[in-house]
Amino acid sequence: MSITVRKTLPIVIVFVIAVVVMSDYFLVLPPVNDAGTSWTGSAVTSLQNWGIILTAFSLGFGAVNLFFFHSKHISRRTPDQWYYSLWLLIVVVIFTVIGVFLGPNSDQYSWLYNASYFALSATVYSSLGFYMTSGVYRALRVKNTESGIFLVVGLLVLAKNAPALTVYFPVLRDIVSFITGILTTSAQRGIMIGGALGAISLGIRTMTGRETGFLGKLTEEERGGAVG
Amino acid sequence: MELSLVIQIWMAAIFTIWIYSIAFRDNDFFKFAEYTFVGAAAGHSLVYGVDNIRRYGWDNLMGGAYLYIIAFLLGILLYTRYHPQYFWVSRYPLSVMVGIGIGLSMRSIVTAEFIAQIKATASMSLLRGDLWTIVQNWIFVILCLATLYFFIFTIPEAHEGGLGIIPKIARYGMMAAFSYSFANTVLSRYNMIFGRLNFLYTEWLPLTGAIIALPVVLALLAYAMIRKSKG
Amino acid sequence: MSGQSIWDRLENIPREILYGILLVVFVIPMVFPLGLPVPISSNVETWYDTIEALPPGSVVMIDFGYSGGGEPELGPMAVAVYKHLFRKDGIKVVAMSTSIEGTQLWDRAMDEIRPESYDAVYGVDYIHIGYIAGTETAMAAIGTDLRATTSTDYHGDSLSQFSIMDGINGAEDFDLLICYTTGGDQSEGWVRQWVTVYGTDYMCSVLAMMVPTMLPYQDAGQIISVTSGAQAGEMESLVRVPARGIKSADVITLTHILVIIYVLIGNVAALMKRGGNS
Repeated sequence: MSITVRKTLPIVIVFVIAVVVMSDYFLVLPPVNDAGTSWTGSAVTSLQNWGIILTAFSLGFGAVNLFFFHSKHISRRTPDQWYYSLWLLIVVVIFTVIGVFLGPNSDQYSWLYNASYFALSATVYSSLGFYMTSGVYRALRVKNTESGIFLVVGLLVLAKNAPALTVYFPVLRDIVSFITGILTTSAQRGIMIGGALGAISLGIRTMTGRETGFLGKLTEEERGGAVG
Repeated sequence: MELSLVIQIWMAAIFTIWIYSIAFRDNDFFKFAEYTFVGAAAGHSLVYGVDNIRRYGWDNLMGGAYLYIIAFLLGILLYTRYHPQYFWVSRYPLSVMVGIGIGLSMRSIVTAEFIAQIKATASMSLLRGDLWTIVQNWIFVILCLATLYFFIFTIPEAHEGGLGIIPKIARYGMMAAFSYSFANTVLSRYNMIFGRLNFLYTEWLPLTGAIIALPVVLALLAYAMIRKSKG
Repeated sequence: MSGQSIWDRLENIPREILYGILLVVFVIPMVFPLGLPVPISSNVETWYDTIEALPPGSVVMIDFGYSGGGEPELGPMAVAVYKHLFRKDGIKVVAMSTSIEGTQLWDRAMDEIRPESYDAVYGVDYIHIGYIAGTETAMAAIGTDLRATTSTDYHGDSLSQFSIMDGINGAEDFDLLICYTTGGDQSEGWVRQWVTVYGTDYMCSVLAMMVPTMLPYQDAGQIISVTSGAQAGEMESLVRVPARGIKSADVITLTHILVIIYVLIGNVAALMKRGGNS
């Protein structure tokens, strides 16, 4: 298949859809129906709903990738690994069968979710707290001006985050209010504006075919070929 | 209490203790819990993917919105990415998703993360008002501009000589911001640890046998950790 | 270990000792509550006042956008706010989820809240329209035309049978948007898709570590109040529904004091070692 079909057309689709969605927001393009809605309005509504369905289809990628990866371990009987891989795939199947056939809001699926996934998810997230403790102890050390600022601000915020300390030492509230409202917000605003500029330029580059990351792996021919 | 609820609490408690054991040493019980988590996450995603396709796609299609068949076809074509020869077909549904995403985010990012932020900064009073407010506003504007300078002007000449003071000020401001985030991360994680320990204390330990099971579970974990570290 | 000075040892305390002491400090105030005071922050007061000012007939959209990992922090906040909303007359609360675990976590929250104790009826006073994939695409879709996106609640029952949904078609029919989330995509996505496009009033509660990234929006007036789930105890105090949030206050105070001590020990040890070497 030619590069036009494999590379150029997808980029054109990105451009056209992005332009239609943006123009619906900024312009009222004719023809306009009796309710005053432009044709782009109904097109965008449909596209948004299609986007939901496409995202729903993509939710299966995790399970598919896991099947490919772990079934290799099972078939090769990788020592100290294959039985864990087998258990993982069994769990995927259990969740899928119960969730798809009985419904994700059924009592049985909710029981399974609360007994396993919820507890595991909450605990995995929280276990990072132990590593943070070790990290805080070892990393929050004065070595130069930057680390000194990091240490002082860190200690003040840690103290303010201890609720009782804020009640017994109200000055903490004023100091951290300055850190929050001035130091943090200003830096984050600068980062946000810079990030927005980056996002806009990435969007334009993707629409014009200069950024092709979303196409996935490119063949030799596609890498060398120009757009169009 | 219903037997199903009791079993649910026991399972959740044992998984919680097994996951926490990694903080001390790697062991087979943790690995088992970890693989259960990964499998459950993938299965859960698949379940809700199917549910969403049914609720927002199939029901609408059956309700007369026949154009949805295009969305279904595109969704199925997403999985051609696994084919060694026809992987490029998956670029079509991907380009639809990317186009929608770019359109939706770019239409409002200029207002939300650019104009509104610049307006808020520009509207700060730098000359009128009480002294402390003016000083704070000046610090704010200087830090904000310095941070922007740091990220926009990345050529070495912009960070050297007399101009080097600007990125230096930006770094100090960002250190303060990141330190604030870091301290808040400690707060977040400790809240989460409290949540799980509170569950063990208020829901699991009051159950019959749990108080006896706890030292047994811990002893088994210790044995598994020693066995793993030996070899 | 021989030949190591006291400062060497204090600079490199093994992690097992750090974690062990931390666990003890976690457990002691849980078993023996101290009842330490909890201050009320201005952002929590603003949140409370905003809901208090909602007139009867107001419609609130809540995004249950957090995952199981964030439930210990955001769950108590979500519960306290729901109780506040249920206590007010005539407030309609429509929930949805941009998180894949959102509907399950909403069920958990409802079990904790017990809406019937507030005379709240499902389909009349509150409803959940389900998890919708796509984050910003989903936000834009329901903002534009909710009925074209979904026609059922999260159980699959038709929305037309629920009186709460009468006259609700999109973002313009909502008076307030609340989001609980563990993901920046969601908290920032609502700003881009509802606040910027429709001017909807918006408040969000996020993980404490995410608060700094949301502060510029609050400062620019795009978000009325940004709180962290860790402030659930403050919200419970204001709403007068003490629960898990208040209970965590003692633990958070003592564990944070411990972490500060760890940091000071590490720094003093490093300084003394450097002084000794020079």
